[in-house]
Amino acid sequence: MTVLEGGKISGRQFMSVLVVLRIVPLTLVFSLINSIAHVQDTWITVIIGTVIAIPIAVLITKLSLRFPGKTIIEYSQSLLGPVMGKLLGLLILWCFLCTSIDITRGLGEAYVIAIMPETPILVFMSMLIFISCYAARSGLEVICRLGEDVFYIVVFVLLLTYVLPYTAMRFENLRPILAWGASNLVPPVIANLGYYSQFLIIGMLVPYLNKPEDATRYAVYAVLISGALMVLAAVALVAVFGTTASSWTLPLFSLARMISLGDFFERIEAGVMAAWTVSTGIKLALFLWAASVAVAQLFNLKAFRHLLYPLGTITVAASLFFFESMVELEDYLAKAGAMVSILVAGVTLLLLYAALGIRMAIHRRKGGAG
Amino acid sequence: MLSKALRRLLSRQRTDVAGKGQCASSPDAVLSKRLRENEALIRDAFGNSPDLIVREIRFGVSPGIAVLVVHIDGLVNTALVSEGIIKPIGIISEILESERLPLAQVQDMLKNRLILLSDAKQVSDKAGFLNDIAAGKCGIIVDGSSEAFVCDVRGFEKRGVEEPQSEVVIRGSREGFSETLRVNTSLLRRRIRDPRLWIEEFTVGRVSHTQVAITYIKGIADDKVVQEVRDRITRIDVDSIQESGELEEYIEDEPLSPFPTILRTERPDRVAGALFEGRIAILTDGTPFVLIAPATFLMFLTSPEDYYERFFIASAVRLLRFVSFFIALLLPALYVAVTTFHQEMLPTSLVLAIAAQREGVPFPAVFEALLMEVAFEILREAAVRLPKIYGPAISIVGVLILGEAAVRAGLVSSAMIIVVALTAIASFVTPIFSLSIAVRLLRFPIILLAGTLGLFGVVFGMSGAAIHLSSLRSFGVPFLEPIAPVVLSDLKDALIRLPWWAMDTRPKFTGENDPRRESRGLMPAVPNPQADGTLGAKGKKGPR
Repeated sequence: MTVLEGGKISGRQFMSVLVVLRIVPLTLVFSLINSIAHVQDTWITVIIGTVIAIPIAVLITKLSLRFPGKTIIEYSQSLLGPVMGKLLGLLILWCFLCTSIDITRGLGEAYVIAIMPETPILVFMSMLIFISCYAARSGLEVICRLGEDVFYIVVFVLLLTYVLPYTAMRFENLRPILAWGASNLVPPVIANLGYYSQFLIIGMLVPYLNKPEDATRYAVYAVLISGALMVLAAVALVAVFGTTASSWTLPLFSLARMISLGDFFERIEAGVMAAWTVSTGIKLALFLWAASVAVAQLFNLKAFRHLLYPLGTITVAASLFFFESMVELEDYLAKAGAMVSILVAGVTLLLLYAALGIRMAIHRRKGGAG
Repeated sequence: MLSKALRRLLSRQRTDVAGKGQCASSPDAVLSKRLRENEALIRDAFGNSPDLIVREIRFGVSPGIAVLVVHIDGLVNTALVSEGIIKPIGIISEILESERLPLAQVQDMLKNRLILLSDAKQVSDKAGFLNDIAAGKCGIIVDGSSEAFVCDVRGFEKRGVEEPQSEVVIRGSREGFSETLRVNTSLLRRRIRDPRLWIEEFTVGRVSHTQVAITYIKGIADDKVVQEVRDRITRIDVDSIQESGELEEYIEDEPLSPFPTILRTERPDRVAGALFEGRIAILTDGTPFVLIAPATFLMFLTSPEDYYERFFIASAVRLLRFVSFFIALLLPALYVAVTTFHQEMLPTSLVLAIAAQREGVPFPAVFEALLMEVAFEILREAAVRLPKIYGPAISIVGVLILGEAAVRAGLVSSAMIIVVALTAIASFVTPIFSLSIAVRLLRFPIILLAGTLGLFGVVFGMSGAAIHLSSLRSFGVPFLEPIAPVVLSDLKDALIRLPWWAMDTRPKFTGENDPRRESRGLMPAVPNPQADGTLGAKGKKGPR
């Protein structure tokens, strides 16, 4: 088979893009806080989610490491046979496309809501898709190089946003802790895991790592770093906004608005917006890249770059038609979307590991007989 | 996609040009045995140009053998010709030999004893002989032989080594390259006195026969990259190369990019520094601008002075240069975006001040910005081209009419004048001109994007530029290295510069062959005066 993508990425770049793709929805709507009834417990749910996400990331990575040089699309075919493998590949592809659609709409909505209410949403979405397709055309290497820089920028901007509104923080807002029982914790954990299910993309990235043996380590780092950033976000948001934290449409954006130092250094929400626009662009580029590579591998095409703009166009159209409004998008992301993502990731992992187990058992028996 | 189509279109003509450059060797291609035929041939070939000197002298005892001495007036050192060629052949040969010699012995004597010059080679190829004459060598043809001698007696008017005009430093060498290739290589040899400084010469241009030399330090430069440079230069098949800029367009990695991926400089110290980083310099005869490849983006924002000044100051200046780079690229666009779409981002009093100034300005901010930027670009271009005598007139017109009067007439706001002026000055901070003109060009689309989509447009434009830049490579080295990809060991000489004793390794992508450039523990330490009685700093023998 011809080599579709010749790039090589480093472990640090791998970790960075994983963090970026987990952090993008945080800067967007922070569904966790929107899906919890009593916001004081949000940070606990983030920790629970992170702890559960670590084995998920490890499982996906370990599985990919068993098939060096092959993406999840390719090895699912060699594990499950051509028919089942292709069906599973289609499911994964659909998952990648859905993610692209969600974040495209999310960015468009946020711009329309927060900054330019009179501009048609299509303008923002199509320009975002255009630039992401351009990045994806340049290949995985370019996406990951920029992804690493964007990672540093985003972490810097987020930390500034957490720390600088310190005058408005009331840490007693965080109490009481765990006063409403476990049922309060379940929806945000599900929403969180829904996003972590996007780590299925690890299966597309591992074959291009220059040192695959580091993959597991960096995947775990990615989960831990994004978990830490989210815990801080949950604490900062609740400390500043108290119980009203869940009613903000763009909570982190509002948090940035609270920053005011010496009546001069204020209104850095544009910086937040810019950091988050570029991180959305990176995430979108990554998922469009993954989707087009997946299409190329599913249908045995020799090149994937020509698929990017068509897939991008589909993404724009779908993101217009799938959701009525921001409210619907948020609701979907926190509930149905999260469940579906978890289901897809769960089914994928279960099927692949089951097939792997059976094959190994057969192999062992044959080996024993021979 | 667009670039691919354009590339296909542009590369279409390539095939029918190739293959014409080589001369087939046929019997016609060698010199004749008859002197008269050779003389006619030479005169014909040069169209009997008045600067072609064909002098006939006689070798040996009277009547002697006729010998032709051919050269171009003005390209050779005439004293050298008369002392080293005409005198020995015309006078000494008669004293030495009293009888008429056979031809072979004449040739031998000429070659080994009579031509009193360090460089003499025998040629018989007609085209090669004529090209050598055209290049300023002196040709000697003996009657009856189809072998000619070619001696290097070149000596022509050339500019001396002067201070470079386009890269000025306060501290550092005042030497700049000149137009002569040999002078330029000698400047490098004086800085790197080691046989490992290798120079290879190529002749490029079917008609101009321009000499192009590549230099590198053997053992530090990557042989694969050297071979790549060699290949790219030898594939050029064109009439003429007049400047290294032309050469650059034939050998660069990404021909359809506004950004230069090969650095050019006039400073020998800069070239020497690059050679020590494992890079390769390409010198072209006839221009003081030397190309350095592989180049990275940050090299364009670096001045040699950064390495000579104290590292705190150098680092601060370097950061200032990055800020200026972004001001030059973004300030007008940000001004347009903020005043048009995001007034809430400015402090209230500032918004009011700007709004008051813009009162009565008939144009939207984006048009105002484009207008003033174009006006300034015209001024700048005029300032470069105009005869120096007109300088004061232009500056008065520029300052008074375009600045003061435009504001008074209410055509532009004074805030816009400040923005444009700061942008203009910031763009001069970029040490290498080829990057600063790329920025000048990019500013306009970004202003347009800012005027239509506000900050989103600016972010869009900048992302596009960032994606483009990070997909660029210069001879295999990622152009944005060490920023994208992040290379930790190279960050010591990127946004800031660490002290020299801490910059102990060469850049990762170009210096892999010989990564360490200094021994460890060179940080100077003051010895304890009580302990050993010496004063002052001594190189500390650090722990290994």
